[in-house]
Amino acid sequence: MATALAIPTPSAFADQAFLRAAADSNVNQRYIVESVSVGGVQVESAKLPSTLRKHLTALVGARCDMAAIEDLAAEMRKELHLRVVSQRLAKGSLPDRIRVNFDVVKRDLAFDISVPKFLYHSKQGFSGEVDASTRTGPNTFTLAGISNGDDLTERFTGVAAHYRNSRVLTDKVHFGIGFEDFREQWTDTTRTAAENSNGFDLYRGRRNIAPELTFAPAKSVTVSAGVSLEQMQMENPLLGVRSANAVTADVHFGRKLEGDSIQQAIDAKYSLRAGTRGLGSDYSYSRHLVSLRYEIKSGRQIASDEFVGGAIAGDAPSFERFVLGSSSTLRGWDRYAINPLGGNRAVHNTITYGYQFGDRTAEVFYDMGSLWNTGRTAPVQSASGQNGGLRHSLGLGYRQGIFVLTMAFPVVEGRITPVFMAGMNY
Amino acid sequence: MCALAVVLVDKLQVHLDGDFLHISAPHLNFLNGKTLERLKDGVSVAFIGQLSISSAPNAVVGDASSLARFALSYDIWEERFSVSRFGDRPGQHRSISHLSAQAAETWCLDNLMLDRALVPAERPFYVHLDLRADDPRDQLGVVGDTGINITRLIEIFSRPVKGNQQRWLLHAGPFKLSDLRKASHG
Repeated sequence: MATALAIPTPSAFADQAFLRAAADSNVNQRYIVESVSVGGVQVESAKLPSTLRKHLTALVGARCDMAAIEDLAAEMRKELHLRVVSQRLAKGSLPDRIRVNFDVVKRDLAFDISVPKFLYHSKQGFSGEVDASTRTGPNTFTLAGISNGDDLTERFTGVAAHYRNSRVLTDKVHFGIGFEDFREQWTDTTRTAAENSNGFDLYRGRRNIAPELTFAPAKSVTVSAGVSLEQMQMENPLLGVRSANAVTADVHFGRKLEGDSIQQAIDAKYSLRAGTRGLGSDYSYSRHLVSLRYEIKSGRQIASDEFVGGAIAGDAPSFERFVLGSSSTLRGWDRYAINPLGGNRAVHNTITYGYQFGDRTAEVFYDMGSLWNTGRTAPVQSASGQNGGLRHSLGLGYRQGIFVLTMAFPVVEGRITPVFMAGMNY
Repeated sequence: MCALAVVLVDKLQVHLDGDFLHISAPHLNFLNGKTLERLKDGVSVAFIGQLSISSAPNAVVGDASSLARFALSYDIWEERFSVSRFGDRPGQHRSISHLSAQAAETWCLDNLMLDRALVPAERPFYVHLDLRADDPRDQLGVVGDTGINITRLIEIFSRPVKGNQQRWLLHAGPFKLSDLRKASHG
């Protein structure tokens, strides 16, 4: 009689919520933390990144918050590239005082292999990325294999390598340099549209080198500046190799407002890419992209609104052009029916309402957006003959942690074909 | 995730108390080994327990079941245990403190009960207890904001099964409700 009955084992996500509740109910929370050490070394003397040291030092003198201690153990494991970090409490020098020690175990492997993104789209197929990364001090090296049929009009497949230094003199300044080498796959629809357009040249591959410096002047603001030196191997042999060298700049603002019953999050970003002949570019253009996101959460209910607007002035290569009909914009729409070559103007808005069941969220969304072309570079109109025009789509989603299942319905006249998407971090 | 299961047959005692079927297991000692070590380090340890009944001794799916989650912690200074029970609904949360290890184990089992209305009145039934200790270290770090960490998965599956998750399976029966009624009245 050794057969085990089927127990409805909760998922890892549900377990994490429960483990958080378990940490919150820990009887030792009433004691004051007297000291914190890592591997037996007092935090003041331990060789640690300054942010981590600051977080650990903040525990001293406060109530023993086991959930915060577990979060710090997870942060330490991630930051220091460790296999295990486990916390241990011991009696302090006074009856209501305790000492916290983090025991650490190093990784067996010196590098991480991870899948940061994955998407299956019933019309576009698979997109995904596999990363191998290693870290020494503030330096991180990452090698990635990427196949992406979601972000641009073309599918691009290849490798990317990235180096990042998260501390240039100070924790507030980061330096990164990326290298990308992609092969492009164009659909017949795009090829036909390109042939019928004026001066729209396709490329079979592109390489990019992009150094960037990021500065965090305040906790909620980061500013980045860099260059993107991109070379394209054109399909037309007469054109050979063309360059799209651009100056890049980003400003990002993110803030969370935690109330007793309502939590709000605001996220805003502005990106500029300016191709200039001064950098030896064959294309002269400027690309502006603004995104604004507001989220409000009360109890189990969560609602958000996200607006994205973009404009390109001048003559930009295809990979800079805007696309609607992806996994996050006008979901359910065929991007090639909207415009097979993308557009140089785009606006898009998403409204989402979700209801949480533990770590699971059921949600409904409403997307609306418009993509159009202006100026002399306006190459083609959409398959329906429209240039611009507001389009809409509706859908249902199920979210659990970083995993999302989505069923989207484009609002069109006639037959509606739902589109199914399953993804992670998309 | 695999688990090392301790299977105990006919070590489960069953009785009726009011509207609920209760169990006791005097020989079950689940606060021991690494679990006890972690508790004495001040860390919370989570247990998930399922009490179920079935009409057959080897049933894979029970006819009725009840699930409860327990969070245990050990007071570093007072050297006593504290237990919280988390039910399926918010109102089912209960807590107790200043317990010995044995009293904490007993309290967990006392608070894992099955509604009497779910117990078959006429036919014999078997009672099963499935109790698991969760190891949070195995669940964290594989899936995070940055995606799925394959290295972490390799590390977890490279480790011996032993120690990943402790599990106790207890079975007893057959019982008849009428016999339990008599015992409780007696």
